Amino acid sequence: MKQIRLQINEAWRTGWANPGQTLLDFLRNELNCTEVKQGCGKGDCGACTVMMNGVSIDSCLTLALQAEGAKILTAKGLGTKDNPHPLQEAFVEKGAFQCGFCTPGMIISAKALLDKTPKPNRDEIRRGLSGNICRCTGYKKIEEAVTSASERSSEQCDDRELKD
Amino acid sequence: MLLREDGKARLIAGGTDLTLEIRDHTNKFEVLVDVSRIPGLDRIHSDGYRIHLGPLVTMTQVEESRLLKEHAAALWEACSWVGGPQIRNRATLAGNIVSAQPAADGAIALVALNARLKVLGVKGERELMLSDSYIGVGRSAIDASREMIIGIEFEVQHQGEASAFRRMAQRKAMALPQLNCAVWIASSAGYCTNARIAVGPVATMPFRARQAEGYLIGKPLTDETISACAAAVEEEVQPRDSVLRGSGLYRKEMAEVLARETLKLAISRLEGSLV
Repeated sequence: MKQIRLQINEAWRTGWANPGQTLLDFLRNELNCTEVKQGCGKGDCGACTVMMNGVSIDSCLTLALQAEGAKILTAKGLGTKDNPHPLQEAFVEKGAFQCGFCTPGMIISAKALLDKTPKPNRDEIRRGLSGNICRCTGYKKIEEAVTSASERSSEQCDDRELKD
Repeated sequence: MLLREDGKARLIAGGTDLTLEIRDHTNKFEVLVDVSRIPGLDRIHSDGYRIHLGPLVTMTQVEESRLLKEHAAALWEACSWVGGPQIRNRATLAGNIVSAQPAADGAIALVALNARLKVLGVKGERELMLSDSYIGVGRSAIDASREMIIGIEFEVQHQGEASAFRRMAQRKAMALPQLNCAVWIASSAGYCTNARIAVGPVATMPFRARQAEGYLIGKPLTDETISACAAAVEEEVQPRDSVLRGSGLYRKEMAEVLARETLKLAISRLEGSLV
């Protein structure tokens, strides 16, 4: 066991990790970040997607010890109920989930996509979310939600530019 | 280097393969040495003669590299097919080589590019051709408990040269290839002067279709010679029956189609630099 420190949604957290323990297991069971979901556990479904140091990763394929000192963003860190992220708003508005299990991972992948490609086209959205599986087959609405969020975020940017 | 554990330690970088081995207990490691955060090992650069890739270069970095898109289109295309974005963000090209799978998209492209590896071990540095690093399915001549790839290198693309990669899979993403093919071709005045054709997974290691290459070299690059070359690829490959990838017979026939398409794609890229 080793004690590690890492930043989760901008707050420093400390916990004990085993050498072979995945980041997913560490986040859920040691730090209680249950918004990170465990699906397949082998990198196929994307339910456990988090951002580590600015890029999206499968937390089930990363060892906790490799994340020492890293900046982790989970779906919980994206926004709050009172102040939701444009992606969260868009997912709600478009009804982009049914059971909701894939949503935390889906929304982080969408965030990673928009960080790189603020105005993605349909193919770019599909490719950006290709590492996430939704078993309720809600892909179309998810795609719409990402499009809607991208329009929303760029409007916000435009506003900001105008103010400057 | 912390490899004084005498074979009991194992290097880990992206961990996208290794984490699964740990989880499934298919491999036991007493010590893992994480190299994923060593700065400076993720560079992609050209010295004008060769392109050098550091051992921590990820699939995403290859996919986003303009230099590689221009000089190694096959590699650029191949890496964009590996897993999904999350996996490409972590998985390294060096890991793709050490995992030694005959289907590895990145490695297939590197075989066609005639890549060379720089390896650092306890006894010092050595160099070997990527194609010589395979000793069996999933078995690499590079012992990750004693050695580390420190560089992947291949020649820059010259006038009249081009490369391409294509694959056949059941889905457009997150699917293992049923077949993949990478082609590197050199030409002069419409004639093929040199060619390398790599196909996977049709053998225990990435396969070079040397008879097909031999046929094409010296021939004009016409539809007829391309088709004949692709037929020679089909002749040479011996894919196994696979529950995952399809029957051997089917994949053998499809190797001709895939080789033809890949050759055509590579040749279409020549035209700009020809004339």
